[in-house]
Amino acid sequence: MSTEISAYPSSVLVGFIQFLIIIVLAPLLTGIMRRIKAITQKRIGSSIFQTYFDLLKLIRKDEVISEESSWIFRYSPWIIFSATLVVAFFIPILIPYPPFGLGFDIILLLGLFGLCRFFLMLAGLDVSSAFGGIGVSREMMTSSLLEPALFLVLFTLAVTYGSTNIYTIVSHAAEGSMMISASILFSLFGFFIIVMAETGKLPFDNPATHLELTMVHEAMVLEYSGKRLAVIELSQSIKQLVLMILFINFFIPWGLSTNFSPATMIGGLGIFLTKIITLGVLISYIESKVAKWRLFRIPDLIFLCMASGLMGMIFLYI
Amino acid sequence: MISLLENAIPLFSIVIISYIFGGLFSLLFRKYGNGKPFFIPSIIGSIFLITLSLNIIIDGGSVHIELNPGTVFSINEFLIDGIAAFFLLLIGIVSLSVSTYSLSYIREYIDNKHVAVFGFFFNTFILSMVFLISSNDVFSFIVFWELMSITSFFLVIYNHESDHNLKAGIIYLIMTNMGTALILASLLLLSSHVGSFSFESFRLSSDSFSTSLKNIVFILAFIGFGTKAGIVPLHIWLPYAHPSAPSNVSALMSAIMIKTAIYGLIRIIYDFSGIGSSAINNSDFVWWGLLFVTIGAISSVVGVLHGVVEKDIKRALAYSSIENIGIIFIGLGLSLVFLSFNLVYLSAFAMLAAMYHLLNHAIFKSLLFMGAGAIIFRTHTANMEKLGGLIKKMPWTALLFLVGVLSISGLPFFNGFVSEYLLMISFISSSQVPNIIITVSIGFASVAFALTLGIVLATFVKIFGISFLSKPRTDIVYKIKEVPRTMLVGMGIVALACIILGLFPTIGMSMISHALNLQLSLNQTLFSFSSILPESGLDNGSSGLSLPVVLLIFVSILVATIGFLYGVGGRTEQKISETWSCGLGNINERMQYTPSSLSHPILHVFRNFYRPSLVIQSIPHYSSNPYFKKSVKIQFSDKNIIEDFMYKPILSNVFKTCERMKKFRTGKVNLYLLNVLITIMLLLTYVRLSP
Repeated sequence: MSTEISAYPSSVLVGFIQFLIIIVLAPLLTGIMRRIKAITQKRIGSSIFQTYFDLLKLIRKDEVISEESSWIFRYSPWIIFSATLVVAFFIPILIPYPPFGLGFDIILLLGLFGLCRFFLMLAGLDVSSAFGGIGVSREMMTSSLLEPALFLVLFTLAVTYGSTNIYTIVSHAAEGSMMISASILFSLFGFFIIVMAETGKLPFDNPATHLELTMVHEAMVLEYSGKRLAVIELSQSIKQLVLMILFINFFIPWGLSTNFSPATMIGGLGIFLTKIITLGVLISYIESKVAKWRLFRIPDLIFLCMASGLMGMIFLYI
Repeated sequence: MISLLENAIPLFSIVIISYIFGGLFSLLFRKYGNGKPFFIPSIIGSIFLITLSLNIIIDGGSVHIELNPGTVFSINEFLIDGIAAFFLLLIGIVSLSVSTYSLSYIREYIDNKHVAVFGFFFNTFILSMVFLISSNDVFSFIVFWELMSITSFFLVIYNHESDHNLKAGIIYLIMTNMGTALILASLLLLSSHVGSFSFESFRLSSDSFSTSLKNIVFILAFIGFGTKAGIVPLHIWLPYAHPSAPSNVSALMSAIMIKTAIYGLIRIIYDFSGIGSSAINNSDFVWWGLLFVTIGAISSVVGVLHGVVEKDIKRALAYSSIENIGIIFIGLGLSLVFLSFNLVYLSAFAMLAAMYHLLNHAIFKSLLFMGAGAIIFRTHTANMEKLGGLIKKMPWTALLFLVGVLSISGLPFFNGFVSEYLLMISFISSSQVPNIIITVSIGFASVAFALTLGIVLATFVKIFGISFLSKPRTDIVYKIKEVPRTMLVGMGIVALACIILGLFPTIGMSMISHALNLQLSLNQTLFSFSSILPESGLDNGSSGLSLPVVLLIFVSILVATIGFLYGVGGRTEQKISETWSCGLGNINERMQYTPSSLSHPILHVFRNFYRPSLVIQSIPHYSSNPYFKKSVKIQFSDKNIIEDFMYKPILSNVFKTCERMKKFRTGKVNLYLLNVLITIMLLLTYVRLSP
């Protein structure tokens, strides 16, 4: 099977549909995960569509901007959002081919997420409140440790599937009927922890509280309001969805459509939705079963993740 | 090979004459008050240097310059081939921007210093590097190497009033001279084997060198040049020398002087020892590459770990130089490892990655040092604890510094990303090395590399965030204004280069592969580079990734988002108000995070490395009741494990030995004569007994 699918109208259309699905689905997934968490905590919880209403409300609200802040604070949300959407633009969810004829590299993905994190941290420092500092200093610790863990997983995947191009990886993964090897299993474990950490899930961070003891991500964005807060919230949802899609694409890619016929594509979409919602439910369930860890125990978990990635890489060669 | 370039030799003479003129002019007109004219010759020289080197790179040949025989000190030939031209280009770009910057920066010293002396050493320093790169025999190489070391030493101690700077200068001088001794030894070993001082003869007879000779020469050169490059554990001079030197000199030293060491290593390894030629068994030299990778990985991690907790901007940047040299060493090492398994294409690719990073580092590090200099120029401090909020006072400096920070952190659309991308691809391609132990150890190095990248991001968020953003931490910041325009132009030149090399990587890649004759079939279109695992044959980049296109998508999404949000949400008001402080009222600068507290979690995670110690001394009012405290004294310190556990024991042993030697120095002539007699007897016996 060739990956040389050039850009022709239907594939471009599919590309835009994928892009729209990600943007539209992201808040819904966040809503579903919040609802699941509420149910496991014996609460009723808000509607799964509440996240849309929240975003809509925020967009219409006036903003308060700190007098201490500079243009970094004002422009960071746009940069973060655009960088996240560039990633979303290239992530395959229906077909494992480049819909626009452009490749996308997993290392560029690392870089774009780095760009988001960089401006988020700067924005946190820009407002000169102690909360920003708390968030940034914690984020500095976790993110600098997560970087090697993520790189190891990507290393293993790139060597296993013979490319760093995301479409090649996904299509090769989808072709291999049962890719259960020790190295892939170790990477799966490592990547799962990374997804939990990067999306601010419970042992790492608890975005639902505004208590300074537990805040990481929330502390950095504490000063934002109105449109800019909406953009940041949405990009966080999209980042979560993108990471979960990557998890699905790398480790359970079966069911991706292999041609452009609408019927298989809709079937593929169904399978995709099932997978992503199952994963979301699983993550929320795990989240409700663990307590927030003490900050300095978190590196232990990341080191475990790194070790797992390293085992994955070593098993690649043995 | 005689080049077709007729104008190369006149160009080279113009370059040399400009710098010499700059140096002499400074001395002759030392009474001339403002130091501006001292840097104009070097600007002109740099422009001609860039022209010359670009000409040679594009032409693909090499220029052989022979002076009339019998010139001073028998230095009569120079050779500029592709590699030399690449390094000369580096010197040209960096010294162009640094000289422009210096036009105004020199005002920092005009009141209480002889700026003429500075002008003289500044020009001589650049001149010595130009000569060093183009020299073609052992003698001139060593002479200009020493000239470079000594002029840079005098520039480091330019602020000689402070004892701290003098100490820094002495450490630098000692380390660099030890390095020179080893370099001299390695070059003399080669020349004694060949019987000639000329580099040309080394090249011709490289096949005749035995493996053990090559190994000895390599080890000597590795340690010698490594000292100059600043690899761990020979790096200790770097964090002292860079902060002591004036910022424009730090920029030159960090951006190009330490790169001359890399140049020397490349010459010795690839040029003189004939690695890669089919005549020798390349697999004998796999440990060279592994040594490079190991030392590179250690340097990068140690450098960045020291850098992230540093409070002084220039010291943090100096540590970051160590880290970047480590990354370059990793690239060179991978290239050597691949070469020893005859994976020629991969080797060239890793070499390309290393050289791209070298080019990038020269550019963004000079930008960052000049930015730090701009801060010092206005605030007269490099201590981040005293800064903050500079972005409002110095918006252009902040913007240019941000470009440097984004580049060094390896973020997309800036040049650091490209070289780190190439290095990651080289790492991933290491799976093709047919030796499991080596692949796994390279895998470990890749973890170190990725960890470095993670912490670099944190380091530079800290440096930029603390010094440019948030509220000023002391009053100094309120009084300052933007730096003069020439300084901004100087920084702007390299900032522009950062963006060009980041957005259009093919320009840099094709230039490097042309200059180093890498024979890479970069079968991509211009302005794009694709995701490739060379030689694996699985994916040869059928779908290219182009950074300008990604940027275009980025910008269009940005515009669309803003448009969409204002379309849906309507125009909303923005209210400027104070930062929320839990209702406490006006927030003050002491409530902010300090640089030390910002990096404290990282320090805690790596506490085995830093060995922090916290001493809390509280003095109570009454000895009976410890709860009413009169004063509390908190002392926090961390250790520098390499200085404390490696250099201090060595130094103390040296001192002890010297103490013991004192016993023989009694001052009695009889005893000295006896010593002489015993020595002569021993020597004679040795001569008699030896076959």
